[in-house]
Amino acid sequence: MRNKVLEIKNLKIRYVTDDGIVEAVNGIDMLIEKGRTLGLVGETGAGKTTTAMSILRLIPDPPGEIISGDIILDNIKLLEISENEMETIRGRLVSMIFQDPMTALNPSICVGEQISEAISIHQDVTKEGAKEKAREMLEIVGIPGSRMEEYPHQFSGGMKQRVIIAIALSCSPKLLIADEPTTALDVTIQAQVLELMKELKEKLEMSMLMITHDLGVVAEVCDDVAIMYAGRIVEQGNLEEIFKYTKHPYTEGLFNSIPNIDDRKAELIPIRGLMSDPYNLPDGCSFCDRCDYALDICQTEKPKKIYFSGTHFSECHLYSGNSDFQLNCGKK
Amino acid sequence: MYHFLIKFIAVIKYEQIGGTVLKYIIRRLLLLLPVMLGVIFLVFFIISLTPGNVASMILGDGATDERIVELREEMGLNDPLIIQYGRYMGSLLRGDMGVSYADGRSVAGEIGQRFPNTFKLTITAIILSVLISIPIGVISATKQYSIFDNLGMILALIGISMPSFWIGLILIIAFSLNLGWFPSGGMSGVMSLILPAFTLAIASTASITRTTRSSMLEVIRQDYINTAKAKGVSKNKVITKHALRNALIPAITVIGLEFGVLLGGAVLTETVFSWPGIGRLMVQSIQRKDTPMVLGCIIVFTLSFSIVNLLIDILYAYLDPRIKENYK
Amino acid sequence: MNADVLEIKTEQLLKTKKRSQLFDVWLRLKKSKAAIAGLLLIGIFIFMAILAPVLVSYEDDALKMNVRVRLQTPGSDHWFGTDELGRDIFARIVYGTRISLFVGIISVSIALTLGGTLGAIAGYYGGKIDNIIMRFLDVLLAVPAVLLAITIVAALGASMLNLMIAVGVSNIPGFARVVRAAVLSVKDQEFIEAAKAIGAKDHTIILRHVLPNSMAPIIVFATLKVATAIMATASLSFLGLGIQPPTPEWGSMLAGGRSYIRDHMYIVLYPGMAIVLTVLSLNLIGDGLRDALDPKLK
Repeated sequence: MRNKVLEIKNLKIRYVTDDGIVEAVNGIDMLIEKGRTLGLVGETGAGKTTTAMSILRLIPDPPGEIISGDIILDNIKLLEISENEMETIRGRLVSMIFQDPMTALNPSICVGEQISEAISIHQDVTKEGAKEKAREMLEIVGIPGSRMEEYPHQFSGGMKQRVIIAIALSCSPKLLIADEPTTALDVTIQAQVLELMKELKEKLEMSMLMITHDLGVVAEVCDDVAIMYAGRIVEQGNLEEIFKYTKHPYTEGLFNSIPNIDDRKAELIPIRGLMSDPYNLPDGCSFCDRCDYALDICQTEKPKKIYFSGTHFSECHLYSGNSDFQLNCGKK
Repeated sequence: MYHFLIKFIAVIKYEQIGGTVLKYIIRRLLLLLPVMLGVIFLVFFIISLTPGNVASMILGDGATDERIVELREEMGLNDPLIIQYGRYMGSLLRGDMGVSYADGRSVAGEIGQRFPNTFKLTITAIILSVLISIPIGVISATKQYSIFDNLGMILALIGISMPSFWIGLILIIAFSLNLGWFPSGGMSGVMSLILPAFTLAIASTASITRTTRSSMLEVIRQDYINTAKAKGVSKNKVITKHALRNALIPAITVIGLEFGVLLGGAVLTETVFSWPGIGRLMVQSIQRKDTPMVLGCIIVFTLSFSIVNLLIDILYAYLDPRIKENYK
Repeated sequence: MNADVLEIKTEQLLKTKKRSQLFDVWLRLKKSKAAIAGLLLIGIFIFMAILAPVLVSYEDDALKMNVRVRLQTPGSDHWFGTDELGRDIFARIVYGTRISLFVGIISVSIALTLGGTLGAIAGYYGGKIDNIIMRFLDVLLAVPAVLLAITIVAALGASMLNLMIAVGVSNIPGFARVVRAAVLSVKDQEFIEAAKAIGAKDHTIILRHVLPNSMAPIIVFATLKVATAIMATASLSFLGLGIQPPTPEWGSMLAGGRSYIRDHMYIVLYPGMAIVLTVLSLNLIGDGLRDALDPKLK
């Protein structure tokens, strides 16, 4: 039997601001099974972080509000439980690594205390026990335990991110959400941190939701991939399906805009235009203004999910009459 | 005052960071010395601008010209200012601030007698301010734009817009003359302290509330607050443990600066409530043209302000680990 | 010819840009009800100050003692009552507005000129000059502002001019720091480099390029400081160290009325309200301006 760790159904989130309503997440579904890693890919403003924060129920309200949908973590319907119950879940069943390690640690509390705090909240241990466990965690992420009493400003960016990983994993959560965990780091450090995360994920048998805009990272650590655009998941499938049998023009656009190591002379083809105004999303497909394949119907009607296999789907009108349609890799 | 200092050091030693903080304190003290020398010179210089012949004033109308010249020479008033300053500093270090022109009493003695009263008043006021303003500032920030927040901020703005001597008069009318709850002036036990302390506290309460709120608002938007929430720290603990400490760092700087405003306010409040402190003494001495007394009062005020700011700096180092680091 | 056209065009462009920036600030300021309330309030006081001779007679209402009508409660003859010497409190408040606004603005101008110059020099040149100026300011800052003002008046004697000097000087360190910080924040930007590159003189660069681009925080600070200066003026006058009787000044009105508060509280109520409302209106405007000039702070 498949073991669902996280299931999201028809989630809709919006932000009500003075300037209007931002429809940040517009009905997405998501499933992460035990031990698997889902990469959530998309450009800035696509709603990736909002989705992640909604799993922790940390969307600032106001202005954010979850309009509808279900988030089920380890058979608990998160949107139906009380705030107090939610506090026992954060850090224990699900935890999160934030984008910028420089600002994600409390500057006035020593790192040991920041790790042991999570442990003493969720586990029945003494203060010394929590401290001991925190020291272990610190060593697991590759920092000597002797640095327990030091403060965040005494660590480098990569080291800070290791501390943050130690905090997130200190209670062996079932799901780890990583929001662009390597974006703010030097390239050489990026690889180390990714490697560490992959290793620990395996060791602790966790599932992971990896948010990124870097398809290289996806290829490195993910089993499944969801491509997000303007608050919708426009294409989802396993790694092979997305990389080899790309279906959605936006996904293709993403691939075309990264450099190819095998063919260094290949021209980069950027996606033209900008993402649609989130205050005012179009009636039809949100991507159609930027899409080279756009049909008349794309302007007026929202595309529906079309499945190509049990795991692979895309939301695109191109396949509605003809599921064998082939994208032409940006060649006109 | 020293009592506090000793306690501080004890606390810090207990935290086992004594060495670095001690170094920090010593450095701050060393930095303070030239500033104090400069300040005393500045005040000395300003006061020396006082027009009129001091000697003839002391001797009264019947004095002969020779006697005036003699006294001027005796008092060293003909020496260059810098020599007079040096002489003054020399005696100041021995605790001698000269004698009053008005009644010949020792300035240091008079101030020594009055200083505890001013200390009592200002310390009560600052404690009141901190106790009221920090909780209100924190609640306002966590419930931004709520009724509590809006009302609190309007009151705080009115609070910084009211002159303390006027508040004093209004409080006297309301609580002393009409309700008869408190005496309208003088110093006679705890009851007589309440109105002047409140009067003095209002402006700094308002101003510390505003600072606490705005620095709290900034802190609760930081990423590390989300990190804390994401590991399951409860709402209240996120505020008290993770946000407050960081928000207090800018707030205590303002508390230190407010203490200066408070000392200025003490001059007015003491006048309104006939409180026998050095503020009132200073105003009376100005009216009597009692220059040594005025000089003594202002030096004591300035010294207190500097010591408070030193204590604030130490507290700062205690709260913010990045400062301690610089002195390792 | 071409260069001329280009220059004119750039100038026009800069002008429209500047106007629209100002306009933006105004639009944001307009959104804040508090700032609008402050503007209205200060408008009333300015109106009162300008039209004072039309509203009341200085000699007859504000100055002339008239023992027969002393300590009259507020009514239709005397809106705010009369004081212990039979002078009309409303008339004295109206003329007091002139003094408070005048002293407030002049003393802030003194502080802005002296402190601003020191701050601009310190910020622009940096290094040793900066160090010397900042140490001097540390000394000034070590004396609480009101006490410094009191000391200066005590030495120079109580008069309006000395009061303005005292309040002005006690505000020098604040202005110097704000201007210095503002200058530091723009001095390394490219357009300053460009001005240097074409050989502009230092004072031209400071006055024409640096200061105009660092006005926002200075304007906000000056607005808030006029409020403080008005408060300081009233405080010193209350202590008998500022404006001397019989000149109508709010603080000295409070000092004069102090002995009569048991039965005639209006004597201190209305002048005090005048201080509170003036200071409050300036604080509202200052806060509003700060938010409008720096939207990211909100």
